[in-house]
Amino acid sequence: MDFTVREEMAVLLETVRRFIATELAPLEQDVEETGELAPATARAIFEKSSALGLYAMNVPERFGGGGLSAVETVMVEEQFGHTTDILVRRAFGNVYEVLFAADAVQAERWLLPCVRGERTASIAITEPNAGSDAAGITTRAERTGSGWRINGAKHFISDAAFSDFFVVSAVTDPAKKSRGISLFLVDKAAPGVTLGRDQPMMGLRGTSHHELFFDDVEVGPEHLLGVEGTGYAQVLATLGRVRLAQVGARSVGKASHVLDLMVRYAADRRQFGQAIGEFQMVQQLIADSVVDVNAARLMVLRAAWELDAGRDARDWIAMVKVHAAEALGRVVDRAVQVFGGMGYCKDLSIERYYRDARVARIYDGASEIHRMVVARHALESGAALFDSMASGGWVLEPTVALDGGPR
Amino acid sequence: MNVVVCVKQIPDPAAPPALDPGTHNLVRSGKLILDDSDAYGVEMALQLVDAAGGGEVTLVSMAPNGETSGLRTALAMGAAKAILVSDETLAGSDALGTAKVLAAAIRRAEPDLVIAATESTDGYTGTTPVQVAELLGLPSVTFAKKVEVDGQTVKVERQTEAGYDEVTSPLPAVVTVTAGVVEPRYPSFKGIMAAKSKPVDTLTAADLGLDGSQVGVGGARQEIVSVVEAEARSAGEVVVDEGDAHERVIQFLEQLKIL
Repeated sequence: MDFTVREEMAVLLETVRRFIATELAPLEQDVEETGELAPATARAIFEKSSALGLYAMNVPERFGGGGLSAVETVMVEEQFGHTTDILVRRAFGNVYEVLFAADAVQAERWLLPCVRGERTASIAITEPNAGSDAAGITTRAERTGSGWRINGAKHFISDAAFSDFFVVSAVTDPAKKSRGISLFLVDKAAPGVTLGRDQPMMGLRGTSHHELFFDDVEVGPEHLLGVEGTGYAQVLATLGRVRLAQVGARSVGKASHVLDLMVRYAADRRQFGQAIGEFQMVQQLIADSVVDVNAARLMVLRAAWELDAGRDARDWIAMVKVHAAEALGRVVDRAVQVFGGMGYCKDLSIERYYRDARVARIYDGASEIHRMVVARHALESGAALFDSMASGGWVLEPTVALDGGPR
Repeated sequence: MNVVVCVKQIPDPAAPPALDPGTHNLVRSGKLILDDSDAYGVEMALQLVDAAGGGEVTLVSMAPNGETSGLRTALAMGAAKAILVSDETLAGSDALGTAKVLAAAIRRAEPDLVIAATESTDGYTGTTPVQVAELLGLPSVTFAKKVEVDGQTVKVERQTEAGYDEVTSPLPAVVTVTAGVVEPRYPSFKGIMAAKSKPVDTLTAADLGLDGSQVGVGGARQEIVSVVEAEARSAGEVVVDEGDAHERVIQFLEQLKIL
C-alpha cells in the first residue's frame, strides 16, 4: 500500500490550489454579497483556466478532457472544495459522466462543446415529488411519429440559468417503473421549455437552482441518451462518480479549509491571558476535526481506487457520502464554536461555510438514503462490507496504484 | 539563447520550520518545494528565450536528498531540462560551497545568461549568485527589475533605494531578479504531464571535480555557532494627531530610512 503522490500529480494539485487561492478566492465575497458571479468575470476565469488545460480534467482524453483517473480526480476535487460551487463550475467545468453515453452524433452536438466549455449542461432529474426517490418521477416522454413529446416539471435544477441544455429524466413506459425511465438531451431554447423561478437557498450563493417546465416539448430520436428504458440505471451508474467527487472529495477539501482557519484562530485568539488553543476543550474540537478530515479522505481515496480497479464502488461511495458530508457538518459547526461570535458574524466567512455545508447531507441522496443502501447490503452480504478478511480477504495484487497509475 | 536558472528546493514555508539542534541548519528531510522567489527567474528566462526566438532554459539546483519535485514545477512551467547536484558530501555546505557546486554545474551547460533570485526564502544570505559569478569569471548584475537581451549584451534596470540604475553588461553574465520582475505563469496541464519525461541529470560532487575539502561541512568557512529566539515584538508607538501628526510620521519613517 503506497500513498506516495507522483510528482506530476503534486505539481497539478499545487497549481490548482494556487489558481484557486489567487484567481477564485478573491471573488467569493462579492458573489456572496451580490448573489451572482458577473458574466464577464465568469468568462475571464474560464478563459484563464481553459488556456491552462484545467477545464474538464475529469473527462477522458478521447473526448478532449484531461483523462484523470478516479483517484486523481478526487485528489483534484478535494482542492476544488477550497472554493465555492459556482466558481468551480466556471473555472474547472462540470461535465457530467452521464454524457459519455452520447453516440458520435450526439457527442458533436452536446458532449464535446461541454468539454471545450462552449456549452453547459445541468442534470434535470429532481421533481417536487421525486427527490431521493428518483424513480418516482412523473415527467413523461411519449413517442410521436418522429420522436418524443415531453411534458412535466422539474425543480432545484442547479445552474439551470446558465446552462444551454439539460439531461432530463422522463418516464417512457409507466408499466416498467424504474426500467421505464429514459434520459433525454433537451436544449433550453427548444419550444415548450420554460425556466421557472430561481429557488433561493440557504447557501451556495451564485449557483442558481431553478424550476423547469416542459410543455409539449417535441424532440427527435437523436435526443434520447443511451438505450430507452435504461435512464435510471445510467443515473445510478454514473452519478456515483459525481457524488464521490463533488460531495465526498469536495467535503474533505472544505472541511480541511475550515479546519485550517480554525487552528490558526485558536493559536492567535487570546482569552484569559492565553491562546484559546491552550484550552483542552478547544483542543478537543480541533482533534476531533483532524480525525474527521483524515478519515473521510481515506474513505474517498479507497472508493476512487475501487473505481479505477474496475470494481463496483457503490457501497463505498454510499459510505463516503454519509461520512464525508457529516464530517464536514461537524467540522464547520466546531469552527463556528471556536470562532465564537466572530463565527456567527457575517464579517467572516465561517458562517458562510456553515450554511454551504448543510446541503452536503441532503443533495445527491440524503444521508438516510445512503445509510439504507449500506445497511441493506450489510444485511445481504454480511461481513463482506466491513470485515477485511471476508469476501476473499484483502486485495493482494491490485491492478492500479492508489494514485491511479498502473502497478 | 540558452539560459540557466539557479533554483532551490526548500521546505514548504507554510509548514513550521525546524532547526537541527546540533548543526543549527534548517531541517530539509521533509517535502521540498520550488522556492517561490525562483519562479520569477524561471518566468524571466522563459520570456527571454521566447523573445530570442530560440534556445532553452536549463535549471541548475543542489539538493541534499535527490529531491526533484520542486524541479518538476519549473519544468512544467517550460524549462527544458535540469541539472541536479545531490550528494551526501554536500550536507552542511555554506554559501560559498553551494556557489562552487552551482558554478561547476553551470559551466557544463555553457549558457549565454545565468539568472537567479536575489536570495532564497529559507537561507536569505543573498550572497550565492555573486559568488557564482565570481567563480565563473562573469559579470554580475543584481536586483534586476527589468531584463532585456540585445544581441551580445543584457540591459538591466537595477532596483535601488532611490529608483533604478540602467546597467548594460556583455554576455554571458549572472543576473539576479527581484520578485515581481514578471508574473510567473501557472504550469499548464499539458506542461505538467510533459514535465515528467523531461531530463533531470543527477550529478555528485565528484562528477563536478569537487571533494569534501571544498564543499559540505569540510569545506565550509561559515559555521552557525548559536541560534537565539527573535525578540518578541514590543508595543508600537501611537501617534495622536495634535496637528503635527504628519510631521511625526515622516520623522519616524525617516528614522527607518524608508523615506
